[in-house]
Amino acid sequence: MTTGTVHLEQATKRYGALAAVNSVDLEIEAGALLLMAGSNGAGKSTLLRLLAGLIRPTQGRVLVNGQPPHSSLESRAEIGLLSHKTLLYDTLTARENLLFYGRLYGLENRRETAEAALANVGMSARADTPVGTLSRGMKQRLALARATLHRPGLLLLDEPFEGLDRRASQALSQRLTDLRARGETTVVVVTHRVDEVVDLVDRVAVLERGRLCCDSAWRGGGLEELQALCDSHQEGV
Amino acid sequence: MIKGVVTILWKDLLVEWRSRERLGPMVVFVFLIILVFNFSFALGGSALHEIGAGVLWSAFVFAGLIGLNHTFAAELDNNCLDALMLAPVSHSSLYLAKMLGNLLFLLVVELLSLPFFSLFFNLSPGLYLVPLVAVLTLGAACLASVGTLFAAMSSNSRLREFLLPLLVLPMIYPALIWAVKATAIVFEHSRPSATGALATAAFWPGSLTEPVSFLLVYSIVFTTLALMLFDQVLED
Amino acid sequence: MVAALYAVFLYVPTERQMGLVQRIFYFHVSSAICSLVAFSLVFVASIQYLRRREERWDRLAVASAELGVIFALIVLITGPLWARPIWGVFWRWEPRLTFMLITFLMYVAYLMVRAYAAGSVEQTRRFAAVLGIVAFVNVPLVHFSVNLWSADQQLHPQKVELAPEMVVARYVSLVAVGSLFLFLLKRRMELELASQTLNRIRQKLDDERGDDGP
Repeated sequence: MTTGTVHLEQATKRYGALAAVNSVDLEIEAGALLLMAGSNGAGKSTLLRLLAGLIRPTQGRVLVNGQPPHSSLESRAEIGLLSHKTLLYDTLTARENLLFYGRLYGLENRRETAEAALANVGMSARADTPVGTLSRGMKQRLALARATLHRPGLLLLDEPFEGLDRRASQALSQRLTDLRARGETTVVVVTHRVDEVVDLVDRVAVLERGRLCCDSAWRGGGLEELQALCDSHQEGV
Repeated sequence: MIKGVVTILWKDLLVEWRSRERLGPMVVFVFLIILVFNFSFALGGSALHEIGAGVLWSAFVFAGLIGLNHTFAAELDNNCLDALMLAPVSHSSLYLAKMLGNLLFLLVVELLSLPFFSLFFNLSPGLYLVPLVAVLTLGAACLASVGTLFAAMSSNSRLREFLLPLLVLPMIYPALIWAVKATAIVFEHSRPSATGALATAAFWPGSLTEPVSFLLVYSIVFTTLALMLFDQVLED
Repeated sequence: MVAALYAVFLYVPTERQMGLVQRIFYFHVSSAICSLVAFSLVFVASIQYLRRREERWDRLAVASAELGVIFALIVLITGPLWARPIWGVFWRWEPRLTFMLITFLMYVAYLMVRAYAAGSVEQTRRFAAVLGIVAFVNVPLVHFSVNLWSADQQLHPQKVELAPEMVVARYVSLVAVGSLFLFLLKRRMELELASQTLNRIRQKLDDERGDDGP
């Protein structure tokens, strides 16, 4: 899978008269991790869904690796999505879920890939338990395995830390660090839990009422600075 | 594309095997309806064999609606539908997989209910089991083709249980007419005539061709139509 | 147009074979025709909406569907009213009545989908358009099935001998009902447009008010 580059040009999504995402221009280079911040209802989830190709822009363009994400079956295989819903089937076991998605994505050696993914997120011991019986933290780790199973060039995370306790958050964070260290994946994270990703961030983008009001590189720094940058645009100037 | 269809269908069958939330209620429902009709008409003294076909298909349709309601239930639970739309499978594959799933469930229910039905209504297909199965399959296909499309449309409505029957019932009315007629023909031919001999030893009652062709045409037309329109229902 | 309606009532008294009730025939038949025309408009408008995504096609679809349902209801009510004195029964499962009833139900379902589907306005319109297409494809199938089916129950006369004045009256009433239909269609579409514009303005105001909020 080629690492994803993202290009948004005047991307707009309207629902009736309301523009959930309004004329957003954004570039993300391959392998970078972008933190998307903004108050609730600012349009972050909508923007993420535009990037995933689940919804289409009313105006403007959304390109991943130079193509609209929904345009072809191949371009869809570039995308991975992790949201606060697990996208897993509760009645099937962890292994069955991964095997299903493996087959759906046409992976070769899907058994080995599934086993490796399970091991990677520390779920091998629970591979045969129905997903519905797992704890929230385990579900989320499994969801990450699902999202990255096909080695997508672009990984989208929508509030991945929601509902996770300290330990589970740290585990997820660790997985993200590993992922990023490999450098094969561009990551876009929407989260309020800035503390979990502060060491991983390359870029920060802040959305306010559908518009991009801040887009800058992050050259490292403390947690407070990052937090301040995100919050500064929320007072509505 | 076939691979996608098979993958999703297999997953649906596996999920149903684990949860059994569709097949069980459907079978029970059919059984209850057959019983209720049997009581009402037997007590009234009507000739059961005249209304048998109608009762059978009424039972199938209502049980079918229960199954149809659940078509996308597993997908909506954890937003799995998003995952299916993200995956490199065409929307047509998803429709076909769901439609075939519905068809299979319905067919199983139909076949399981035949013994009950024969018992209570004193009707049996006799020699004509194969034509009867053909009719049952085609009827189920008609119901599944239309029902799957409408299930996708009504799934996220709060009035799903009300909206789905309202959409499906008028739409399958033609198919229902022909299915009942075809079934009635089969039962009619397998009843011993007044002299005690079976009416004809032919494998396929001639008059069956017309209704069966109609059912075939209907299911093809609506499956094709649904395939063309399914994208519009899923996309956002 | 209104004048044409009155003309039907005043002109018609020249013939009276089945009695006063027979006059319903003019409205009954014209309404049936208008109803079916309306449903074909829904079909065309639905296809165009899905192809172009222009709102005016959706407005045409909803206006036509509503009018189609209303006229179908008129047919279903005037039918039995006429039938009772003439045939002795209010209803029989004969081809044309059944056809009209099923078609009526399908488009009632269409209106219900528009009213009760959850989700965005755009999604509701899309669903309705899909339904508009599927329903119309079903119309000939229903017609065919029902005709082949209850042909033995046929109560509607297949061919009618009409005195010349009646023929005239029939066409006049068709024109009258037809003009009523077109008039209402136009009004309903304007109403829909006004309603949508109002919603848009409301939303804009809400947005702006949100700016000064806490």
